[in-house]
Amino acid sequence: MYRETELVNSIPPSAQNDAALLTLVRQADESAMAALFDRYSKVVYSVALRVLRDPASAEDVLQEVFMHIWRNPDGFVATRGSLGGWLAVVARNRSIDTLRRKRPAEQVDDMALASNYNLADEAERNSLMEKARSVIRLLPVEQRKTLEMAFFDGLTHSEIAEMTGDPLGTVKTRIRSALTSLRKAFTA
Amino acid sequence: MSEPRRITSEDLTMFAMQLLSPEEHAEVAAYLERSPDARQELAEINGELAIYAHTVDLHTPPAQTRERLMKQIAREKKAIPIDRPAAPEAVVQSGSVFAEVAERINRSTNAVQGNEIQGNEVQVNKVQEREADSGDSIIADGPPKRGVAGRVLPWIGWAVAAGLALVSWNLYHERDNLRGELTAQMSQIDQLKTQAATAADVANAAAARQVLDTMKDASAMRVTLTTYKAAQHPTGRTTYVASKGALIFLANDLGSLPPEKTYELWLIPAAEGQSPIPAGTFRADERGNASVIMPPLPKGVDAKGFAVTIEPQGGSTTPTMPLVLSGE
Repeated sequence: MYRETELVNSIPPSAQNDAALLTLVRQADESAMAALFDRYSKVVYSVALRVLRDPASAEDVLQEVFMHIWRNPDGFVATRGSLGGWLAVVARNRSIDTLRRKRPAEQVDDMALASNYNLADEAERNSLMEKARSVIRLLPVEQRKTLEMAFFDGLTHSEIAEMTGDPLGTVKTRIRSALTSLRKAFTA
Repeated sequence: MSEPRRITSEDLTMFAMQLLSPEEHAEVAAYLERSPDARQELAEINGELAIYAHTVDLHTPPAQTRERLMKQIAREKKAIPIDRPAAPEAVVQSGSVFAEVAERINRSTNAVQGNEIQGNEVQVNKVQEREADSGDSIIADGPPKRGVAGRVLPWIGWAVAAGLALVSWNLYHERDNLRGELTAQMSQIDQLKTQAATAADVANAAAARQVLDTMKDASAMRVTLTTYKAAQHPTGRTTYVASKGALIFLANDLGSLPPEKTYELWLIPAAEGQSPIPAGTFRADERGNASVIMPPLPKGVDAKGFAVTIEPQGGSTTPTMPLVLSGE
């Protein structure tokens, strides 16, 4: 046990994996928190900015999401998926809550997320981003737009149907089909 | 009794994105409680959404954001409770009188922790009284008989020691409580500051949202004012902020198009040699009105003008002549 701790502490925080950093955050290690921020702040901020289209509000969401980790480092359980993916989805959900002027949804810590990607590794993260973008670019424009309206604009299927004139079922199917294409591309 | 609605992957997807009505949300949540397969499917969907979130264009947050976070973290770190020192075991083990005094000090300390501060002075007195009472029995058991001063004086020392220990404990806990209160109040002040800032931002966002909703509303009445009896012809108005890549386009009196065709808006960059940038496809409603609100555009592109063309369904990457509308 002592050897493990020693090993963790001898590596600079920026080079440690997410689980090791979270262990240090549990011990109130501020440098571990800084390392997590340096690793994931760009994605969290960019997602919030895309949803809210306002830098000041996006900064607030960024602050809120990382303070949540500091206050509840046990909230994220490694077995539930990658921290990077979890943060990206939490940032989106918190931003949508802000957009709707709603109290934050309380189920953040319960969110399970299946992911085989090590988003702590910058190269792997960049490669995933490139691949995801190219898959999305190849989707039929209706699917792409509908998913974008739902995920980034937080529009409900009824709102999307009203705006596009498409039936409700079609809207739901387009969103599902777009995500299925994404899943297939990443499991192929 | 009606059959419960079948929960599909589509429902789980909308649930994951928090886009269901409260009733639908509760229904799906209840289903998830019962079905491990559905929970697994939801985890897969969250994984897909995480990947999709990573398709966003990356922006670096302002440098002061990191500083702000680290300051907040440093402040909240102080709120972590300090471990209470262990009870003075050595004193407890060293003799029955010490044990009794230590036990009484502990009792007094527990009373302080239970916010019974007012009783402390009374307890000090009681401790001192009990010391004096119990002194007789101990002296009765001891072999040498001593005078009154010889019997009382050692107990005065113990009583003073116990009193000092008790006062020290009180001071220690008082300081600890004050420190905790101070930290909590500082956190509260920070929280209130953040809430005030957020409330202003949220109000701005809500106002912006209302403007967008009004512009997007299909039932909104749109009237273009012209000179009296002027012939109607298609018009478009574009509002564009280059630094933010924000664009709003509203058009009137557009003709209807065959299903395989669409209108497409183009941003014509001011810089020489740059190709027109597609700024969204759209169709006019039955009254000839159309809008393109906040299409995805790169930031910082100065525009020379804007144009609208007719393109195949799905849009094109380069404009097809002729121009339906144009303006500089």
